[in-house]
Amino acid sequence: MKEEQNHEKAKRFGMVIDLDKCTGCGACMVACMSENNVPFKEDESKKLDSITWLRVYKLTNGKPFPDAEICYLPRPCQHCGGKGDHGHSPCVSVCPATATDYSNDTGIVSQIYTRCFGCRYCMAACPYHARYFNWWDPVWPDGMEKYLSPNVSVRMRGIVEKCSFCFHRYQIAMEKAHYEGRGELEENEYQTACTQACPANAITFGDLNNPGHAVHELKKDKNAFRLLERLQTNTKVYYISSREWVRRAGDNYLEKEKK
Amino acid sequence: MKIDRRCFLSLGIGGAAGIALSPLPWKLADDSAIWTQMWPWTPVPADGEVTYVKSACTLCPGGCGISVRKVGNRAVKIEGIEGHPVNDGGICPLGLSGLQLLYGPTRVKSPLKRTGERGEGKWEKISWEEAITEVSKKLGDLRGKGESDSVACISGSDKGTVPALFKRFMSVFGSPNFMRMPSIQDSYEIANNVSMGFIAQSGFDLEKADFVLSFGSGLIEGWGSPVRMIRANSSWRKAGVKVVQVEPRLSNTAAKSDKWIPVNPGTEYALALGLAHVIIRESLYRKDFVQAGALGFIRFRDLILSSYSPESVEKITGVKKETIESLAADFAKSERPIAICGRGQGKAQSSLGELLAVQALNALAGNIGREGGVFAVNDPAYIAWPAYQADETAAAGIKKERIDGAGSVKYGFAKSLTNRFAGAVNSGAPVSLLFVLESNPLYSLPDTKAVKDAFKKIPFIVSFSSFMDDTALNSDIILPNHVYLERYEDVPATAGLSKPVVSLARPVVSPQFNTKHAGDVIILIAKEMGSPVADAFPWDDYQACLEGTAGDKWKILNEEGFSSDPAFTAQVVNTFPGKFDISGGIPDFTILFASVSHEGDPKAYPLFLMPYDSFRIASGYIGDPPFVIKTVEDTVLKGKDILVEINPATAKANGLSAGSYATLKTPKGSARVKINLFEGIMPGLVAMPRGLGHTAYDNYLAGKGINVNELIGTVEDPASGLDAAWGIRANLIKA
Amino acid sequence: MDSALIPKGVKRCPTWQFALWIGAAGAVLLWGVFAMLLCWFKGLNQTNMNDSYGFALWIWADLAVIALGGGAFFTGFLRYIVGKDELKNIINYAVLIGFICYSSALLILAIDIGQPLRGWFIFWHANVHSMLTEVAFCLTCYFGVLTIEYVPLILENRQIDKVPFFHRLGHNMHEIMAVFAATGAFLSFFHQGSLGGVSGVLFGRPFGYREGIFIWPWTFFLFTWSAAACGPCFTILITKITEKITGKKLVKQNVIELLAKISGWMIGTYIIAKIIDTWYWAKVTAPEAGFNLMDFYSNNPFYGIWILVLEIVICGVVPAIILISEKGRKNPAALMTALILAVIGPCVNRWVMVLQVMAMPVLTFDNWVMYYPSWQEVATTILPVAYGVILISLSYRYLPIFPQEQELNPEA
Repeated sequence: MKEEQNHEKAKRFGMVIDLDKCTGCGACMVACMSENNVPFKEDESKKLDSITWLRVYKLTNGKPFPDAEICYLPRPCQHCGGKGDHGHSPCVSVCPATATDYSNDTGIVSQIYTRCFGCRYCMAACPYHARYFNWWDPVWPDGMEKYLSPNVSVRMRGIVEKCSFCFHRYQIAMEKAHYEGRGELEENEYQTACTQACPANAITFGDLNNPGHAVHELKKDKNAFRLLERLQTNTKVYYISSREWVRRAGDNYLEKEKK
Repeated sequence: MKIDRRCFLSLGIGGAAGIALSPLPWKLADDSAIWTQMWPWTPVPADGEVTYVKSACTLCPGGCGISVRKVGNRAVKIEGIEGHPVNDGGICPLGLSGLQLLYGPTRVKSPLKRTGERGEGKWEKISWEEAITEVSKKLGDLRGKGESDSVACISGSDKGTVPALFKRFMSVFGSPNFMRMPSIQDSYEIANNVSMGFIAQSGFDLEKADFVLSFGSGLIEGWGSPVRMIRANSSWRKAGVKVVQVEPRLSNTAAKSDKWIPVNPGTEYALALGLAHVIIRESLYRKDFVQAGALGFIRFRDLILSSYSPESVEKITGVKKETIESLAADFAKSERPIAICGRGQGKAQSSLGELLAVQALNALAGNIGREGGVFAVNDPAYIAWPAYQADETAAAGIKKERIDGAGSVKYGFAKSLTNRFAGAVNSGAPVSLLFVLESNPLYSLPDTKAVKDAFKKIPFIVSFSSFMDDTALNSDIILPNHVYLERYEDVPATAGLSKPVVSLARPVVSPQFNTKHAGDVIILIAKEMGSPVADAFPWDDYQACLEGTAGDKWKILNEEGFSSDPAFTAQVVNTFPGKFDISGGIPDFTILFASVSHEGDPKAYPLFLMPYDSFRIASGYIGDPPFVIKTVEDTVLKGKDILVEINPATAKANGLSAGSYATLKTPKGSARVKINLFEGIMPGLVAMPRGLGHTAYDNYLAGKGINVNELIGTVEDPASGLDAAWGIRANLIKA
Repeated sequence: MDSALIPKGVKRCPTWQFALWIGAAGAVLLWGVFAMLLCWFKGLNQTNMNDSYGFALWIWADLAVIALGGGAFFTGFLRYIVGKDELKNIINYAVLIGFICYSSALLILAIDIGQPLRGWFIFWHANVHSMLTEVAFCLTCYFGVLTIEYVPLILENRQIDKVPFFHRLGHNMHEIMAVFAATGAFLSFFHQGSLGGVSGVLFGRPFGYREGIFIWPWTFFLFTWSAAACGPCFTILITKITEKITGKKLVKQNVIELLAKISGWMIGTYIIAKIIDTWYWAKVTAPEAGFNLMDFYSNNPFYGIWILVLEIVICGVVPAIILISEKGRKNPAALMTALILAVIGPCVNRWVMVLQVMAMPVLTFDNWVMYYPSWQEVATTILPVAYGVILISLSYRYLPIFPQEQELNPEA
């Protein structure tokens, strides 16, 4: 029985984000910060040292008034599988201390905070800016550290952190499943904090390999695309937009490739 | 032994080699690395048993159900309740950040009495007994002098048992001045009163509508019940419901809509009338509804047909007549179209003319009082307390005219016109004592300077705020309320909902500081005052009052966390085929339908400043907690500088460029701002977000940006007394 | 005062003058040390680096000093392996400069990482796929080799040499120096290469990414080649500067010309390879990722096509031509120009391969990000320069660095 479970097909957890539904409200960002003990500083308007595992980008179509359009695009870590999905993500392959790793069981790119020594090579490698460095010691105003969750360790200064697809939730769900004698999780047992919070239900999370999960079909939508597919990063976050310009904003194209 | 140089060198080198080969350096390296992995100044959250507490969020009128995760006795995460009729698992950024308010540095930790000047921040901690005695004595003196009507209360809401207790206190004490912070709710109430003859809110069955025409409402930016609205938007996307947004700026709502129609601001009413013109002219209206249920149609029709042709409306609104024609046809030909108004999040009022013009579209479409349409919704029905005995003082007091004039001959349709409060006080209306409950009027009311002047005239201000907000900072005594996560309270969710829900906020953690439930405090003050005020409060405490009020619903509220039983929550009024007066019975249409004339000389102020609402900047009673301010883009706030949005054409005309500084001048004041170029805004407009520029709160919020209320004023709608201003004339000068 | 320590037969400046000179350099050094301590105790928030610039001035400085320090391995390679015997007259100095460059690089790395106390995890938890791991191992080993190459020099100090043990040690070390030179050359080939690989392997960053052979992108070879080509130029340049400061001829012209000529041919071949690489990158690699060459050099306030021209033509083709031609080598002004350009060349190359890679947006909705270093970064980058000046001064004063000095300055 146990043997069988171990031989079951590997999972590839991923997301499909419907940009037609996303309103840019920012709930996913805050849900993530709150779930994952993300620190904050007095001034967070310098976005280049502001830790936001999930960042909502504002895209514009570049046209003048009144033809201007806006689209919001939430960007968690893309959990790249790399070429051929062998786990050679841009970041994992460069980390000198094996502090970030690709799990072949879940497809999740992990980050070991206590092993990372802060060389930031992974940040240089990531074209999505999904990785954040702790330039400062995390400090909570007196008393506010009471809300910190024990499920996610607080990161110290001088190391890199990023979205983990709320991996601790997977661990907790798996523990519960094992306790109940199950080897598999139901789709709703493991959901990320952003997916759960999204008021628009724009985020769908699940095992991309599992035909029983919603993401399996959603990713095949005719309007689905991924960010920078040409780089063969092979990400696990899909986006859906009915707007052509938004889909094209997902990748770089040469002049002659237009339309 | 003689130690010569050679010996010394040998010893040194040998010693160094010896140490290097010993385990010592390796051990040291390992230990220092382990030390960095558990730096004593990096907190380690304690583990404990995980539990969930169901409660309700009170941070906005939305009324979402929340489930709070606890570890031991600490609350660690707020999530939405799945299956809750309002938010079904979803939650907004502010709601998610509640714990930063609960455990945050802005809490008022005990009753405080001012020792320095107002606003100086010098306080003395006092006991609850002292605090209650002091306030009661002040109240007693005023009552004794027959000045009971000079006591006023400004509350963030008038729904639920706590505001009801304050309202009851005011009445039995002898003051008519229970006021609610202004919002679009005031406008809807007046419009319903005018067109239907009774005060009610409007509820919108948006999930079932098949065409949504919004006149500037930030449908997905915090309008109504925010999470419910975003959910509705998702359902429209799925069902292919067409959404048209009429607004001078490409808001997120406009960006998400199927069609964005930029309109000259303040002329939305004219566009609505232009659409009505086409619908009537082409005979596209629902004759069954109009004939059976609508009064005043003939008068309305004659006015519209003669004065609001698409050509003339194009001149007023800037919207092409072809667009008006086709939009009118699309609207009228839909099965269940809804027209909706209330700019942004609905924090500001709109003129009665705009409301009636928009409501007329719903009436012409026959979409009032039926599925997928607009409903009149009464206040929650469950608060039915026994009548109290009013003594002479009380009877005389409540008969007096309200400070804000609501209910008077001139403003007869209105229930509350707090927008007029500061002006009235500044022109001499006496206010001797002010209660401030769950609101921040000194910050939130337009024309901050006038509001501050008014507050200076009030000798005694009592704040019930849990936080050291801008108003609390400028009060004389603070009686801090528990934060919603520490208290029981009924939370009626009514904002724009066609099916109201009452949820129950429950203490998730025990009170963190020496605070007291405002419901308990008002009962204690009443009891301290003795008969007859005390007699109107027969409850031992607030908990008894709440349980008694909920009656047999208490069990359900406590177990499920909410009740959506219409008999309990609120009654939807069935208006069809009842009376709906499309012309509002207003004798003179010219004061009803007119463009707002704003303050300031157009030559000195060639531009217009318009405030806008953002989901990521809380602009109500609660200011942005650290997490939410973190999500604000650097094109809105950079360091302490606020950025205003202008069209590149406006920038060019004024010699400004992206990121440059400018002085923004209005007749009310001036401010240093940075420029953000945005192609999604009409040339000539300057857009500034609401919710920044707090003077109080913590360093995460205070001093960041400008409070737009300092730059704008109010413009009174002659037909209703509502504030009709959508902005103010302005100028941008390169700094 | 310190005359007993000064090598026999050479003249050195008075002690007070030397002390003043060291004092001045020492002040700069202390400034750098202060900045370094700030970075260690307060953290990297002292820098102007940010989440877009995980790598910045320091990594550039690292790459640049290692490229320039390449004179040590390549001169050693020529001297001991190829057998260019004349080069023994400059090899000491090349080794010293290499030692300074490599120790500086290691120091900068120790400041650059967020958790210096965990720096050794790179060895303990090594990820063999990472170019940085390769860099760390080879760099450390080669630094060891350079130390071994430098130690005999120290042992040649007049007083130390008097100790029989040190005398014999020094002698024996000289005997086996060829082995170390070979080891050094081998290690250098890899770490110079892996430094090139650092940005060459970043397939998420089309500006830096290059195709290659096996695990090695073309930049792997280009970096090694350019270090071998330009490193000796740096050695010559520093020698020339030392000569200027001391007012003495220290190395014979024929030695310098030989090294310069080899360098010239190396630069020439390197720059041809670089041009081919750039052409292939612009025509094949980048377009596959959706980029035109000019996308890399427009829409930003700094990085124009000029930087490519500067690197390849002005600092590549030009010095190569000068150094290859005998006339060029023999003309002191032309030689100096060529040396300076040949030193700037790899510095520009390392700059773009680190900083322009960071500056350029890959996501279409992202923007170019400009960066300027904080004073702490500048100070810690100048720190090694001051340290180098001090070490060179001490070595020059007390060690027989230049075997030809006595011969060239007989009056002393």
